[in-house]
Amino acid sequence: MKAIILAAGEGLRCRPLTLTRSKVMLPVANKPILEHVINSLEENGVKDIILVIGYEKERIMDYFEDGLNFGVNIKYVEQKAQVGTAHAIKQAKKLIGPDDTRFLVLNGDNLVEARTIADLLSNCEGDASLLTVKMEETEGYGVVLTEGKKVKQILEKRPGDVSRIVNTGIYVFTPQVFETIEKTPISEYGEYAITDTLQLMIDEGKTITAVPTDSKWLDAVHAWDLLKANSIVLNAATETVTEGKLEDNVVTKGKVSVGKNTKIRSGTYIVGPVIIGENCDIGPNVVILSSTTIGDNVSIRPFTEIQNSIIMNDCRISSHCCVSNSIIGSNNTLGSYFVAEEKENLEINMNGVIHNAPKLGTIVGDDNNIGCRVLVKAGVTIAVDCQIESGKTLYRHLPRSSVVL
Amino acid sequence: MCGIVGYAGEKPATPMLIESLKKLEYRGYDSAGITVQNEKLETYKTVGKIVNLEAELPENLGGNVGIGHTRWATHGRPSTVNSHPHTSGNEAKISVVHNGIIENYMKLKERLVEEGYEFKSETDTEVIAHLLHRQVYGSPEACEKQFDLLTGLRKALAEIEGSYAIGALSSDEPGKLFVARKDSPLVIGLGNGENFAASDVTAFLNHTRDVIYVNDFEMAILTPKTVEVYDLDGNPLERRVEKIEWNIEAAEKAGYEHFMLKEIHEQVNSIHNTLAGKISELEGDIFLEDLNMSEKEIRWLSRVQVLACGTSWNAGLLGKYLFEQLAGIHSDIDVCSEYRYRNPVMDERTLAIAITQSGETADTLAAVRGIKSYYCPTLSVTNVVGSTITRETDSIIYTRAGPEIGVAATKTFTAQLTVLYLLAMKFAQLRGKVSPDYVKDFIVQMRKIPGQIQQILNRKETIKECAETFADAKSYFFLGRNLNYPVALEGALKLKEISYIHAEGFAAGELKHGPIALLDEKTPVVAIATRGHTYEKMLSNIKEVKARDAVVIAVADAEDTEIAKYVDVVLRIPSTDELLAPILSTVVLQLLAYYTALARDCSIDKPRNLAKSVTVE
Repeated sequence: MKAIILAAGEGLRCRPLTLTRSKVMLPVANKPILEHVINSLEENGVKDIILVIGYEKERIMDYFEDGLNFGVNIKYVEQKAQVGTAHAIKQAKKLIGPDDTRFLVLNGDNLVEARTIADLLSNCEGDASLLTVKMEETEGYGVVLTEGKKVKQILEKRPGDVSRIVNTGIYVFTPQVFETIEKTPISEYGEYAITDTLQLMIDEGKTITAVPTDSKWLDAVHAWDLLKANSIVLNAATETVTEGKLEDNVVTKGKVSVGKNTKIRSGTYIVGPVIIGENCDIGPNVVILSSTTIGDNVSIRPFTEIQNSIIMNDCRISSHCCVSNSIIGSNNTLGSYFVAEEKENLEINMNGVIHNAPKLGTIVGDDNNIGCRVLVKAGVTIAVDCQIESGKTLYRHLPRSSVVL
Repeated sequence: MCGIVGYAGEKPATPMLIESLKKLEYRGYDSAGITVQNEKLETYKTVGKIVNLEAELPENLGGNVGIGHTRWATHGRPSTVNSHPHTSGNEAKISVVHNGIIENYMKLKERLVEEGYEFKSETDTEVIAHLLHRQVYGSPEACEKQFDLLTGLRKALAEIEGSYAIGALSSDEPGKLFVARKDSPLVIGLGNGENFAASDVTAFLNHTRDVIYVNDFEMAILTPKTVEVYDLDGNPLERRVEKIEWNIEAAEKAGYEHFMLKEIHEQVNSIHNTLAGKISELEGDIFLEDLNMSEKEIRWLSRVQVLACGTSWNAGLLGKYLFEQLAGIHSDIDVCSEYRYRNPVMDERTLAIAITQSGETADTLAAVRGIKSYYCPTLSVTNVVGSTITRETDSIIYTRAGPEIGVAATKTFTAQLTVLYLLAMKFAQLRGKVSPDYVKDFIVQMRKIPGQIQQILNRKETIKECAETFADAKSYFFLGRNLNYPVALEGALKLKEISYIHAEGFAAGELKHGPIALLDEKTPVVAIATRGHTYEKMLSNIKEVKARDAVVIAVADAEDTEIAKYVDVVLRIPSTDELLAPILSTVVLQLLAYYTALARDCSIDKPRNLAKSVTVE
């Protein structure tokens, strides 16, 4: 069976991290979310993958290439304008052949387990099947109304307490769906949504099966949700590898993985689960605490403490920094004594809408240069390409290319 | 410059040969052809790319053994008769493909014509076909073979002077493919029930990773089940089977429209890979384990001679500056095609550094071979493991950039620069020319480079807009001083290679000694004006240019607030050490060239008249 993965959108709510890459490329347990999706497909024997790409597509192509390193065969199609999921699926039509009686469709930005996909594959029937999960809090998700296994109605992101059965956006279709996609009208949000296509199919009397699952399905709606996802996946991991070099007097406890050519210097104390990438230079005397991932080519200087955080590739973190419950994008330089203040139950204003974040420090986009002794107040984010002079305290979100003198 | 392929197996040979030839198209693409062994030898050839050949082929062409060729004309213009394979004898008894140059072909041709052989083409390769026929059958009309083809090949090769990688078939020896090599690349792939031969492993990497590199003066017979290697006296040889580690997918486009853009993007990773394990930030140390020279030998050096061609030469020029500036070693650079015909003066205290991406560049190989009698230490910087240059030099430093398919070199250039930085800094360190502190700061900056390249890629829209604005220019000038001079040359080379705009790179100070006469308001001038001790001088050069009404595009540091006052467009690079700015500026100029060519709708990966690695002299 072939799989179409939708990976063309930006993931607006994960800004500033998605200013330079799409949401599918955000790392969880040191791998892009999309890689987790592809791994789960591969484990189910789904090896022919069509990636629908658009926003910052080069980042995806550079990483996955033709899929050989991931045990799958990837073909790319481009969705030039992001005008909805039905439109995205339509882009892949030419790669679905006459032999493909059924195919999978998934979102590239939701974490799924191999077992989740297996649940759907073994229970799919009718003209289309969709995978559902039960959730207590359904705000922001599409829900379905069912009658037995049959889907009666699909409701997109509607407030209210209509149903707790959430549509995961993972489907099995037959190629006939392309005909209904052609007929799908543009929605009031200006999109061609696959949920509208499904509703059209229901109205035409076709059978849509709801397949429930208890297995893992995680959606990082906002950037800070990545921290939770990161911690869940890290805790569930069973294997650790140590390919790098640990000097004498390095203490590691729990599950700690260290990549190739990475040096962990003497006196460093690491409490897992922690994953550290390749070519890093860490320590001496650095403290890295649980649920932290560190990308490739990162250096961390003495007396810095990092906890429950995601540090992406090519970062330099100087001495005496304190980073916890935070996400630091790629290619950032943090000067000495950088402190990210943290608080619980923050209210974060994004484009005029207030969102609640649990415990959060800061979120920093890519390519920022931050001087020494900079304090970032809890929940304040820094976009990309910013220059911050030493000794500053940041009280407000910094937009792209800001200079703080 | 050509590519040859061969197949002996159980599957139909034609699709295999076509697939392999397509992978080798980068080696040249003005004509192509194949021969397959059926009851007779059947040969098809045509002018143009491999797709043109495919269109010519009849459906269901049988045969399980065959040879193929993609050509880049050296002797004789591109035409169907001049395309390979070349055949000899009535009913084409022998068919030959060849990469290389037969130097004594006129003499051989005259003799063969006297004996009654009829030449159809203007190529040197046809001589091999007739010579083989003569050795095996005795005369043009003869049909009974007197020797087997291996003996014939042995005798024919003894008469040939020059370079060759040959694939040959005989209609009297079904199921066998013959190959031989001298001075041109040739590699055999060992499959399951099938064997391959080609100029480059990419040709068959989809099918096998087990290879034998054929050495000079060796021949081999391939059948579906066996591979036998012989020396030129016909003695069988034991050869080691090696395993290719990189993936074929790395040699494919993976969603990109062009290999060149893919390879520009890959620089983030290729520099990571080149640096991996070679530097330690905290200790401020550089580890070059492949460098086969002792500390004492490095201290004893009095001179470095860099040998290279094309883009590698531009990298080498930066190398020269670095060796002089950092390590205080007198350093020269030469174009190999000139160097080898001069009387190069070398000695035991001069290190020769040969830079070649493919490791097969004929002029570079010849230059290295030419200086061996001086007993000077030699070092090569190359991207291809097991290539010919690695057998010619004392030490090898690999650039580890992965295969590069786009004809215009991008990621291999920046990988070469990376290696030269490490080498020069290592020499400087061992010769006590730099403080440990300086080396450490340098390494810190070096480690930032991959992330900073990504940063340039994140903002490539500005470069694209700039390229589109000036895409209709008739000519382009590139100016740089000191370390930025090689960058100016490389920027100009990239632009002319793929966009066909006339482009020249100049040392900025030379401008007023002549070239300034060419400036007018229609000529964009790219000034590489990153921070450094020549920055002020560069600014006055920019003012000179502006005074002639030319449009100035500056490549400058992110933090430079001054420059925008004097120029029309500023393309920014992230702030880095003065020494390392050339890597980042190069990436900007690569993108400028790419988007210019794209706006002009040029054939970016296969520019006209160019081939990827030049294995002819």
